[in-house]
Amino acid sequence: MASVSAQIKRGSAELAVLTLLAASPLHGYEIAKRIESETDGVLRFDIASLYPMLYRFERKAWVKAEWQTLANGRRRRCYRLTPLGRKQLAPLREQWRAFFRAFQNITGFQNA
Amino acid sequence: MPDWHQIVRRNLRVLKACSPEFAERVTQELADHLEDLYEGYLRAGLTEEISFQRTVDEAELSLTTLKLRLLKEDHMNGFTRRVGLPGLLTFASAMAIAWVLDFARIQPRTIWLSNGLFLSLPTVWFCLLPLCGALGAILSRRQGGSRLDGMMAAVFPAAVMGIVLLLIFVAGWAISLFVNDYGWNWALAVPGLALGLASYAILTAIPLLLGAAASERAKRISARLV
Repeated sequence: MASVSAQIKRGSAELAVLTLLAASPLHGYEIAKRIESETDGVLRFDIASLYPMLYRFERKAWVKAEWQTLANGRRRRCYRLTPLGRKQLAPLREQWRAFFRAFQNITGFQNA
Repeated sequence: MPDWHQIVRRNLRVLKACSPEFAERVTQELADHLEDLYEGYLRAGLTEEISFQRTVDEAELSLTTLKLRLLKEDHMNGFTRRVGLPGLLTFASAMAIAWVLDFARIQPRTIWLSNGLFLSLPTVWFCLLPLCGALGAILSRRQGGSRLDGMMAAVFPAAVMGIVLLLIFVAGWAISLFVNDYGWNWALAVPGLALGLASYAILTAIPLLLGAAASERAKRISARLV
């Protein structure tokens, strides 16, 4: 069970980050804040969980990281989804949609 | 403003073992993250002291976990992870089996040839080596290695023994240059090396590769069944 739980956690985190980056390039802190605020604090990323994932995505060429100067003049390393990353996101979304649908059918939860 | 770079460096000494570019990039990126976190607490109305303390507490906890994750998946380069470590474990398991067989007094078969030369055939060890080959291939594949990486990890013990035999040969020849009456005889040394390579490199590689191939086949069959 532990491995399933770890896989689910990892898979959901990957989906959350890739979905955010599909909308616009973001730097690490922004990604963590956006996930926290958009899930009302249910999902939280700290440094230890976020950056290894981003580096892994970068190695797989799913994201590209570039130093960018923000509106406040600060430089931050921003992550942008690549076409390959976008390609990975589609089946990932579909898998999770199927997973939630199956879960709803079993538990009777709505809007799970 | 606190020195976030220093806090990152203090808690992430493992970066010293990484390439300078990677270490610099990670340090800068994490320091930026801590700076944003600190300012977020200030914006939320916390005092400078409390904001600093919270950020440092979070950093120390997170960076310790991050260190372990970097060591586990990011720090080691791909070849080490996919071939080097599985290969070493394959080698260790093959040597462990050899040691157990020796302990149980199961000796290699010796085939005597002319001129005092002999071919050593550890047949029981050869029969058990496919297990080691399969282990190396499975470990390599679990680390994201290709089929070729798996084969290389599996055949690692044979490669090591081949290299050791070559080194012994070169060392023996080098010593003969400096020591009189050392007794170096090309007519014996070269066939001896060839026989050693045949039994401990080539014949050893075959069962290891068979084990790796069997694990690949098992993987394909189980994937088809799933």
